[in-house]
Amino acid sequence: MADIALPRPQRLDFPRRALELIPGIALLAAIGYAGKLIEQSVAAYGKAHALHLPNIEYVLWAILIGLVISNTVGVPRLFKPGVATYEFWLKAGIVFLGVRFLIGDVLRLGGVSLVLVAVELSVSIALMTVLGRWFCLKPKLISLLAIGSSICGVSAIIAAKGAIEADDDDASYAIAAILALGAIALFFFPLIGHALGMSDHAFGLWAGLGVDNTAEATATGALYSDTAAKYAVLAKTTRNATIGFVVLGYAIYWASRGRAQQIDNKAQFLWQKFPKFILGFLFLSLVASLGFFSKEQVASLANLSRWAFLLTFAGVGLMTDFREMRKQGVRPFIVGAVGEVAIAVLTLGLVVAADAVFTI
Amino acid sequence: MAEIATPTARRWLSLDGWAVLLSLALTALIWADLLPAVRW
Repeated sequence: MADIALPRPQRLDFPRRALELIPGIALLAAIGYAGKLIEQSVAAYGKAHALHLPNIEYVLWAILIGLVISNTVGVPRLFKPGVATYEFWLKAGIVFLGVRFLIGDVLRLGGVSLVLVAVELSVSIALMTVLGRWFCLKPKLISLLAIGSSICGVSAIIAAKGAIEADDDDASYAIAAILALGAIALFFFPLIGHALGMSDHAFGLWAGLGVDNTAEATATGALYSDTAAKYAVLAKTTRNATIGFVVLGYAIYWASRGRAQQIDNKAQFLWQKFPKFILGFLFLSLVASLGFFSKEQVASLANLSRWAFLLTFAGVGLMTDFREMRKQGVRPFIVGAVGEVAIAVLTLGLVVAADAVFTI
Repeated sequence: MAEIATPTARRWLSLDGWAVLLSLALTALIWADLLPAVRW
């Protein structure tokens, strides 16, 4: 009996685990809501004093507050389990966002995105590998950086870590580097987008293709416009859908070198790594397209998506600790930064070309 | 078999699974008009 060999699962203490999450979730809510209040207060002050103050979105305030906390006093241990749920809220928010897309648009734009993603994946993996070798980085760290920059930062690195049996240190560093570079990108992308006069659709696609972490890609889009955030999520979700194939490719490569376990059931592996929230997103898009929801219900679901993203954006700042960079020195960061700039320029070119060809 | 089924279920109900379940449950409540309108 094969099942005898399987370890007996540990009994989960759900009430205790749920209690541990509360302080951190409350912190996410407090920071996110503070960002919303600051945005409203600045706008109200400008209106009351007839001043033309720049409209700084709550997204940026929430991220800034989080960044200041994580890079000065640090996130206290009590809050860490709840803060780590920011990806959960991101995924719930993406599922809700499905109601704002017609399924036909998802398939059309998903198709365009898929073509762009294929080019982006190939170039970024090749680029990171070449740069990593030039800078003499550890081979598995190169793999993690390549996976993180080509698909989706944190989730892909975590998925790959187990599959290629990488060190904890390398994985922690790759995650920190991808998050830090994404945090930098989310300040620069909107400035460049405005300077080039990009449309909401084109900017959203660029953010989804060029920013690696899903939460940061969504935030980058949201900093430009609500519509841009929608398209950033769509492009990024298409990228995320490829996670299993890329991780499988790397796992087979390292197994062939005797430095990772063989994968017997590849179909099962692909299914395990497939981000299931994409199915929830597609389902809600389909159901909404079939007219199951009233206008008010669609508005409520879209607002739920915004509230979930509010928690996510607070988490982005709190999870980004630039001090992590010091642990492995400056070389991996240079590789990441050079690679990311090149990928950002490449994806910008792809999006501008696609805009002309497909009128996205 | 239970020992296979349990880890499989736990894998499915990882972060993604719970996020999808929560979203669909809230969607069902909104669709059935059992929740008040959510404002931003």
